[in-house]
Amino acid sequence: MRDKSLKYVLVLPAVFVVFATAIWPLVESLRLSFTVGRLNRPNFPQEYLGFENYAWAFLEEPAFWNSVQVTAIYTLVTVVLTTVLALGLALLLSPGGRLRSTVQTLLILPFAMSPALIGVSFRFMFNPEFGLFDAFFSFVFPPLAHISWLSDPTLAFAVVVMADVWGWIPFLTLVLIGGLASVPRDTIEAAQVDGASGWRVFKDVTLPQLMPVLAVVIILKTIFSLKTFDQIYMLTNGGPGTATQTLSHYIYFSGLKYGQIGYSASVAWLMVIPMIFLTYLYAKHMFRKG
Amino acid sequence: MAEIKLEKLTKRWGDFIGVDNQTIHIHDKEFFVLLGPSGCGKTTTMRMIAGLEEPTDGEIWIGDRMVNDELPKDRDVAMVFQNYGLYPHMTVYDNIAYPLKVRKTPPQEIETRVAKAAEQVELTEFLDRKPKAMSGGQRQRVALARAIVRTPLVFLMDEPLSNLDAKLRVTMRAELKHLSHELKITTVYVTHDQIEAMTLADRIAVMNHGVVQQLGTPDEIYNNPENIFVASFIGSPAMNLIQGSLLDGWFVTTGGTKLTRVGGGDKERVVLGVRAEDFIITDAGQGDIDVPVYATENTGESVLLTIQFGKQRVSAKGDRHLDKKIDDIVGLKVKPEHLYLFDPVTEKRIRPGQ
Amino acid sequence: MTGKQKKQFWNALQVILILTAAFIMLIPIIWIFLAAFKTHVDVYQLKVFFTPTIENFGTVFESPYHLGDKLYNSTVVAGVTVLFAIPIATCAAYSFSRFSLTGEMTMLVMILATQFVPAVVIILPFFVMFRDIGLLDTRLGLILINLAIVMPFAIWMIKGFIDGIPIETEEAAMVDGSTRIQVILNIVLPMAAPGLFTAGIFCFILAWNEFLFALILTNKDAVTLPIGLALFKAEEGDLWNLLSAAGIIIMAPMFVLALIIRKHFVQGMTMGAVR
Ligand SMILES: Nc1ncnc2c1ncn2[C@@H]1O[C@H](COP(=O)(O)OP(=O)(O)OP(=O)(O)O)[C@@H](O)[C@H]1O
Ligand SMILES: [Mg+2]
Repeated sequence: MRDKSLKYVLVLPAVFVVFATAIWPLVESLRLSFTVGRLNRPNFPQEYLGFENYAWAFLEEPAFWNSVQVTAIYTLVTVVLTTVLALGLALLLSPGGRLRSTVQTLLILPFAMSPALIGVSFRFMFNPEFGLFDAFFSFVFPPLAHISWLSDPTLAFAVVVMADVWGWIPFLTLVLIGGLASVPRDTIEAAQVDGASGWRVFKDVTLPQLMPVLAVVIILKTIFSLKTFDQIYMLTNGGPGTATQTLSHYIYFSGLKYGQIGYSASVAWLMVIPMIFLTYLYAKHMFRKG
Repeated sequence: MAEIKLEKLTKRWGDFIGVDNQTIHIHDKEFFVLLGPSGCGKTTTMRMIAGLEEPTDGEIWIGDRMVNDELPKDRDVAMVFQNYGLYPHMTVYDNIAYPLKVRKTPPQEIETRVAKAAEQVELTEFLDRKPKAMSGGQRQRVALARAIVRTPLVFLMDEPLSNLDAKLRVTMRAELKHLSHELKITTVYVTHDQIEAMTLADRIAVMNHGVVQQLGTPDEIYNNPENIFVASFIGSPAMNLIQGSLLDGWFVTTGGTKLTRVGGGDKERVVLGVRAEDFIITDAGQGDIDVPVYATENTGESVLLTIQFGKQRVSAKGDRHLDKKIDDIVGLKVKPEHLYLFDPVTEKRIRPGQ
Repeated sequence: MTGKQKKQFWNALQVILILTAAFIMLIPIIWIFLAAFKTHVDVYQLKVFFTPTIENFGTVFESPYHLGDKLYNSTVVAGVTVLFAIPIATCAAYSFSRFSLTGEMTMLVMILATQFVPAVVIILPFFVMFRDIGLLDTRLGLILINLAIVMPFAIWMIKGFIDGIPIETEEAAMVDGSTRIQVILNIVLPMAAPGLFTAGIFCFILAWNEFLFALILTNKDAVTLPIGLALFKAEEGDLWNLLSAAGIIIMAPMFVLALIIRKHFVQGMTMGAVR
């Protein structure tokens, strides 16, 4: 076969799969979002509603607004914490050497761990009776022991954030170490010779050159924070009450637990819109050079 | 029988012209060199012959076949790539055997032919190695062996010696020359090294900006350059190009000195081309013109003087016992039979007397 | 302090910080690891020193947990997903890498962007469709939808590897007499093999750890390991020793795989595009 046709034949299956597994569901979700779409009634997806589902979410559902708020705060806090801590760790680890490269290798482990399992292990650690923290504090500072972390809205939120930060720091650190490695050594050395202090070198030379990678890291983490589901489901299942119910979790509940597919599709699409914007930003940063 | 005919061949990428409407006929069994500075379109021309690049316009003929629409595999050419293009996952033996294998040559014949090719490039003891475990020169020879293992209609070699050290380059050059003589296969050879071109070629095409500037034997190219580009590109040091005018058959420098008689009539602006070795260096007062020495370089076999010539500098080659210092005044004479006149506007050669 | 002392102090501080960070990174893993070898009683007594037992690893495979079934499902689902994804992705990656296609950049960015689509959005229509055609709670259904997760990674990763193969090698093969297909089979695949292997493992890990799709699409026959964790909730609370043993069964193989491909792990995640 001639290359001219072959090249399209080769991409066809992949394009089909991507289309069928991502584009089609997006479009189909959009269609469902304008319908009643109740799973437990016949003739699914029932009648056309126009924007009623959207209006409902905006006007009549405090739970929706709650999950928006939870997601927003969760995203903000996790993005800031993960990025800052990962940057610090990357700076600590990037000089290389035996100890540092061993730790770098260890960093892969949390990332190969299923997020669901991360949720489970944090639930275990924060168990008020026989969790690790309980044990730790009854040893060093008894007043803090036996706290029922996951029953308190604020503390539960903190634990959820901790689990997320713990799970993401390793990966972001590794990416940033890669970014730091591509900052030319001689620019740093030149600044040192010019008499800049360590902090000044970092602020004036390293950080600006790291900025493109940092931007990609921040956008990427934002996207994944917005989507968070697995750990939350396993760790708090949105609770106590709805204190840790993110948008994904809310969509899951209203759509698949309560069978309101049409309604949850509309909420899902409300979530897709910022994603499109972020994806645009991400693509712009990623392909700036190409 | 495999002459190669490129008819009005053009390659464009958007607005950029890589090869511009070139017609080149390469004779059967000829060792044909494409020579030119970096980016002039040599590789592009060769890749179009191989079928790796599709011409924007024009025809390519190999023998009596128009091959424009044929795939590389059907053109029956063998190519040595600039960076070897060896198969890293195969041993040297498998690398050399690959062109035969895909052509379904009987196994026995493959064995004998690979052995012979390996012997020709002196690689017999390396057949079990992978390319990674070999030096640049050895890899180069694997690439060569892979080309000569078959008897193709055409050899295409893209700067096949460019990655070798100076010494290996000289030996490989001799080897290539011998090989092409022995195999009698039409060869197109790309290089930007003029020594390589001069020593190997039956004919050379000097290219610049996608256009063949001159096509001829090494002797013609060197002794009879058609234009300023060819004159200054060929030869080391580059030919001196002296600005001046033509007055009653005499070349007069911009400074007003009557230098030498070149024939022809009057012309306000001309460029005189003189090769460094075509100057005769004399003591002051004994030449056509007295000039100060700007710098001297002793290369061992000769002495190269850089001379302040009015506002320009020229180089002149003297014999190795010449003993001149900076700021000495020397006399210069030119050998009248080796002078070239060019038109500074068209850059074309002017032949006085015609 | 003298300059030298100052330097020593900084170095010591850095080492302490690094060790602390490493410790924090490992604690949850170690905690699970320890619990998996404790008896039920030891877990509740918070013992740090205990007589290890491997009993938990037996119990989880027995009735009523039957973790073996989940292990089988996870292996089949992740394995078959990879077997589908890698060849399809390789073809596309080759084409993207070597040819210029109309709309190539758009396609590549779209493919990349699909990983950002929230899984809950994808799952809603698929749940409805699978319900209608009877693919709910089947391994086949899970495999199909897992392709959604692994394809973008696979395509971009493999494209990165193929980009790294010098084009001259392929051109040499073509001049030597190969068809395009022969070039792909004889030259590109062997040279890209380590890359395909890496991408395969990477996708396997992704599919293995996948949670939301399996949670929604399965309930009995096709339940995978991460969903199986829910089995260990008893009336009297979570059975942490069993949960931990199951956790180890989930994560240990992935640790091994991740360490095998550790050099490419991060590139894979960012698809080699962050430089
Ligand atoms: N795929 C392409 N797209 C656009 N321009 C190209 C492409 N390939 C080559 N060119 C341009 O065409 C011109 C000729 O390239 P070519 O490779 O033929 O040069 P060359 O004479 O072989 O130079 P060198 O001695 O450096 O190898 C160059 O200016 C190059 O930038
Ligand atoms: Mg070239």
